[in-house]
Amino acid sequence: MANTTSGPETPADGTPYIFFVTDGAFEPVVTEVPPERKFNSADLFAFRRVRGDIVLSILMLAMALFLIASFAGETGWAKRKLPADMGQYIGIQLGLLDAEGRVARLGTILKQGWFAPMMCLVVMLPSAALNLAASWRATRRWKRQQMPPRWQYEVGQWARALEFIGYFALYTFAVPVLGYLLSTMILLPFLTFRLGYRSWYWLRVSGLVAFAIVLLFRTALQIKTPVNIWLYNQLPDAVGIFMKTWF
Amino acid sequence: MDAFFQGLANIAEPQVSMALVIGAIGGLVIGAIPGIGPAIAIAILLPATVFLDDLVSLVLLLGVYGSSMYGGAIPAILINTPGTPVNALTTYDGHAMTQRGEATRALSLAYSASFFGGSFSILVALGSLILFGPYLRDLGALFGQRDIFMAALLGAVLLIVAHRRTMVIATLLFSFGFMIALVGRQSLKRIDRYTFDVEYLYAGFNLIVVIVGIFAISQALKLMTGKDEDPPAAHVDRKLFRGLGELRRFKVVAFLSACYGTVMGIIPGVGEFVAQFFSYATARGLSKDPNRFGHGSPEGLIASETANNAVPASAMIPLLALGVPGEALTAMMMVVFFDAGVKPGPDIFEKSADFLFSLFIALLLINVIVVIFLMASTKWIAKLVHVPNKFLGGVILVLSFVGVFSIRNSFADCLFAAAFGFLGLIFRRLDWPLVPLVLGLVLGSIMVERLTAGASQILRLADLVNRPVSGLLAVVIVVVIVFALGSTVWQRFRNV
Repeated sequence: MANTTSGPETPADGTPYIFFVTDGAFEPVVTEVPPERKFNSADLFAFRRVRGDIVLSILMLAMALFLIASFAGETGWAKRKLPADMGQYIGIQLGLLDAEGRVARLGTILKQGWFAPMMCLVVMLPSAALNLAASWRATRRWKRQQMPPRWQYEVGQWARALEFIGYFALYTFAVPVLGYLLSTMILLPFLTFRLGYRSWYWLRVSGLVAFAIVLLFRTALQIKTPVNIWLYNQLPDAVGIFMKTWF
Repeated sequence: MDAFFQGLANIAEPQVSMALVIGAIGGLVIGAIPGIGPAIAIAILLPATVFLDDLVSLVLLLGVYGSSMYGGAIPAILINTPGTPVNALTTYDGHAMTQRGEATRALSLAYSASFFGGSFSILVALGSLILFGPYLRDLGALFGQRDIFMAALLGAVLLIVAHRRTMVIATLLFSFGFMIALVGRQSLKRIDRYTFDVEYLYAGFNLIVVIVGIFAISQALKLMTGKDEDPPAAHVDRKLFRGLGELRRFKVVAFLSACYGTVMGIIPGVGEFVAQFFSYATARGLSKDPNRFGHGSPEGLIASETANNAVPASAMIPLLALGVPGEALTAMMMVVFFDAGVKPGPDIFEKSADFLFSLFIALLLINVIVVIFLMASTKWIAKLVHVPNKFLGGVILVLSFVGVFSIRNSFADCLFAAAFGFLGLIFRRLDWPLVPLVLGLVLGSIMVERLTAGASQILRLADLVNRPVSGLLAVVIVVVIVFALGSTVWQRFRNV
């Protein structure tokens, strides 16, 4: 709390001022009370559903349903080898029924192509549904409290990232044309400029960092990058080979 | 002991020594920059390890893993922003000490606690290897395909249970990761799983492509679409050796926290957060001044830093002994084993004991190098916290390309990595945990592989659990599930 009873000047009649008007520099009174910060074990595992959660929850359930819908055609289900009477077989496996005669080996079922995806979907579908239910409850709670969930805003934020994915894709296609060195020396300074660092200092720093990355990964570690580069093919043979080898 | 000395000789190889120093200092620097973290650094470095010797690769990655938490404590203490996620608890007391004008004391305590925790768990692991190594060879015979399958299943269950508030999401993402691992053509039977006749998908998703996308590209996108922060500068003086002596005043807290870190690290799926939770709660319970916790308590800082640095060495134990990674970083290291064609497992001590010793000796040396380096250079490393986030995002994006492309010269890999990066960005923004997805990928592959290999011995369902180890693991799985469900229901009941 700001102290309002003492200040640079005290009026003659002793009435405390709420605001002081001073001719000199006035130092604002800063609260010294630290924020309450008690240890709570729950903080380590804290999670709160935020706007947009409902959209991803719906998408995850839709994906689980899509995987189930394509299960028969995409997992080798058509070529399955199963005992004729599955009810009886499950009963025998669980020890509820006694086996009569030879029983099919469980291992032959476990190693069939469709088994692992089926187990996966058995876990995935209920968890996607439960997750959507929890997300839906959170959204309804916000609405009751008149807090608009504004999922559109969050989806807009996701879409902003697409711009940078676009640059990444362009870079991927530029490397075989311009080479790793030039493409990197263009992309990083461009990204730096685009992200708001527009001074010469940052452009120089980004250029140097880009060059260092190429030196480290291509020149020193000889990590594979595209070799058939259009620009290097236009250069004189000796220069082209040098560039292909080191940059 | 021969294996120990051979391990020491391996470390003395120039390439390995160089990887040790680069990994240790690189990890430290990466940890000190909020926004990067060891997972992203390891994801970017993974493709480079394909071109390096196995031991060199692993020592490099271990360097990043083992030293990043030291670096992560610097921004946690100075600017209240954890450098790596596991340093979150360090902000509670570390930054409060900085606000009191005790930044140097907090850093010095954090370094000494980290060094103690790290060295303690490494020495326990090394001692166990020397003492019990010969018996471990016999123990290997107890672990068949079904036992390792059950161990991986236990790892999955523990991982999900450890995500207390997000168990449903963790389950969903684990199964999603598992499903990604299943995509592709089964080589023997030529059965395509979810390939939709797309040629690229016949070979399945490359693990590194998914990891770089989910961890590195997603973080790059998040940083580039986020805001820059301008943290205030903090003063650090040169009296950093003081904490080494001060740690002795809190030796009980340090010892118990190191024990928690070591034990929790061994349990797959549990990791640093649970270790910190237990050690912090215990330290608070033992303290004469518990109300100071969260307001700059040295004991709180020691509990947090000791526990999280004790985890890396012990987290290597399930990875090496069972081939079951316990968390995201060891899961990524598993990729190195896959690439090298080495299968970690119970017989690794018999086949490559010197290799094991090399790894743990390397971890010990990493701790020594890091502490010496920090004592001399904290003042300069502290300046790294001011590197703008957006610029870092651009650098990570550029680095991700070379990481992905170099795996198999595929542009499709780069585009799929970008797609996974976009998905990872959404998960990050909504605070959905990424670790279950990556462990689903790795543990899923292990489970399928082990179950298929052991299928010929499974006549009935009971055969899955009728061996001593698999039976014991099955009981533990049931107990963990019952306990987790019971605890959830009890919490709900209490809140009604």
